[in-house]
Parts: sequence; C-alpha cells; structure tokens
Amino acid sequence: MNDWQRKSPLDWETYVNKMVKVAAIEKHEYEGWVLTVDPVSASIVLATFLENEKVSVSVVLGHAVQEVKILKEGDDEMKQRLSCIFAPEESKAYSPEEHEKRKNDLKTWLETNHIPVTEQGESGRTLCVAGVLTIDPPYGPEECSSSNEIILSRVQGLIQGYLEKQQ
Amino acid sequence: VPMGVLRLPRGPDGCSRGFSPTSPRFQALLGGDTVAAQGARAALRQRYLRGLAAARGHPTQFCLRAGVRVDAVFGAADVEAVAFQVDALRTPLGVQAAALLRCADVLAYSFLL
Repeated sequence: MNDWQRKSPLDWETYVNKMVKVAAIEKHEYEGWVLTVDPVSASIVLATFLENEKVSVSVVLGHAVQEVKILKEGDDEMKQRLSCIFAPEESKAYSPEEHEKRKNDLKTWLETNHIPVTEQGESGRTLCVAGVLTIDPPYGPEECSSSNEIILSRVQGLIQGYLEKQQ
Repeated sequence: VPMGVLRLPRGPDGCSRGFSPTSPRFQALLGGDTVAAQGARAALRQRYLRGLAAARGHPTQFCLRAGVRVDAVFGAADVEAVAFQVDALRTPLGVQAAALLRCADVLAYSFLL
C-alpha cells in the first residue's frame, strides 16, 4: 500500500474537480480533471476534453500512483460539465426544466399512491423510494436501481404503467 | 445429497475468502471512520461505479506493466478491485473473446466517451 492509497476519503475528495498531474510507476504521467477517486482501490478517474466534443476518460489504478500534483481548480462551469460526463445517455435528450417537471410529476404521483419518496444526490436529481431504490433522470423504468429485485420489478412496473397513462 | 464445497485457489491478495480483513474497506466497515468520511466515501464510490457503467462496451486501452499496452472492449470490474473482465482482447496470439485482466497488472486504462 502506498501513501496515496492510505489517504482518507475526505483527503481524496479534495482532489475532485481539480486539474491534476499524476505521476505513476514506470515513469508514466497522466493529466486531467479528477472526476472521482475510488475508495476501494484508490484509483483516480481523470477526464480530458478533446477537440471533437469527445471526452477521454483515464483511470490510474491506486497501486500505481506515486504522486498527485494539483495544477488548478475547476470553476462552477467545469464542475457542472464534469458531473454530466457519466450521466445516462437518455437524460441528454431533455432540458433541465423538463427533467425537473418529470421528477416532480413522478414524485407527486408516488406520494399520492402512498409510496415514500425523497430527493437526494447532487442537486436533488435522484429520487429515492422507500430508502432502497433510486431513480435517476429521465425517471423511466430503466433508470431505477435497487439491490432488491422484487422491489425493483414492482416499481418498474408501476412507473411503466404511470408513463403509459401519461401518453 | 450434500453438495461439495468448491474451494477456489487463493486470490492474488493471498486470502481465499476474497475479502481481506486488513483492507481499508473492511476497516471502514468496523466503524473507524467519521460520518463525514463515510459520506465522502459513498459519494466517491457512487461516481466511480457510474464511471464503470459508462465504460461498459467501449473500446479501452489498458496500460500494463513493462510498457505493454493492449486493446479490448471494457466488460466489467469486480467489487474488490481484483480483476477486470474484458471482451475482444487483442493479443499477439490473436483476439481472445473474453478475458480477465488482474488489477495488480494494470497500471491505467482509458476510453473515449
């Protein structure tokens, strides 16, 4: 275990949304915006924006990291841009206002049907049903995640029926 | 008829149970971390898992030790960061339809989104 792997999650968090240079073993070097650091393997996920609107994502495994140097801070626009990189494909088809409306409509409908639902995550984008299932934008059956298959299939069926009634 | 228990060979971490009691993850489970640290751990891990989901199916270049680079299609990663599963791994001996790359052998990997 190297020094980087021994850091605490609060330490790793300070590198997120910053432009860094990572020196790895065997004289490799990687530069990019830090998207996250995996707490299990201490792997650093870096993003580099290419000219053709594509993003190059590089992951440097924790055991290979020798030194991480912060080059600069990301501004709010960059933070927003970085947080969208791993968003599911479909959510890019709707505007933020449409997402907000879909979310609120679904939340209201769930509450009307006595299903406990809360908002969580960055900027409250994710809905959390009964504390065990999450729904991401654009709030369809495919965007549901849960570790309980029974609840997952039940809620997916409910949402499917709800969306069909909306059409 | 009782089923025989299949004891797989020891994993690379030396612990055949696959979950090392000295790993930082297990230490965190024992409650050594503060609430804030645990919150940070969860947020970081969630972003990482979304990253893995985004990588799935994309052509990826893996940088291994001794300057070896291989191309493959990203399949999956396991919970303990022991190995990566890839499809269509291009090797000098030909293309392997499916393969496991040990995390200890991989220095870095990258893909385009």
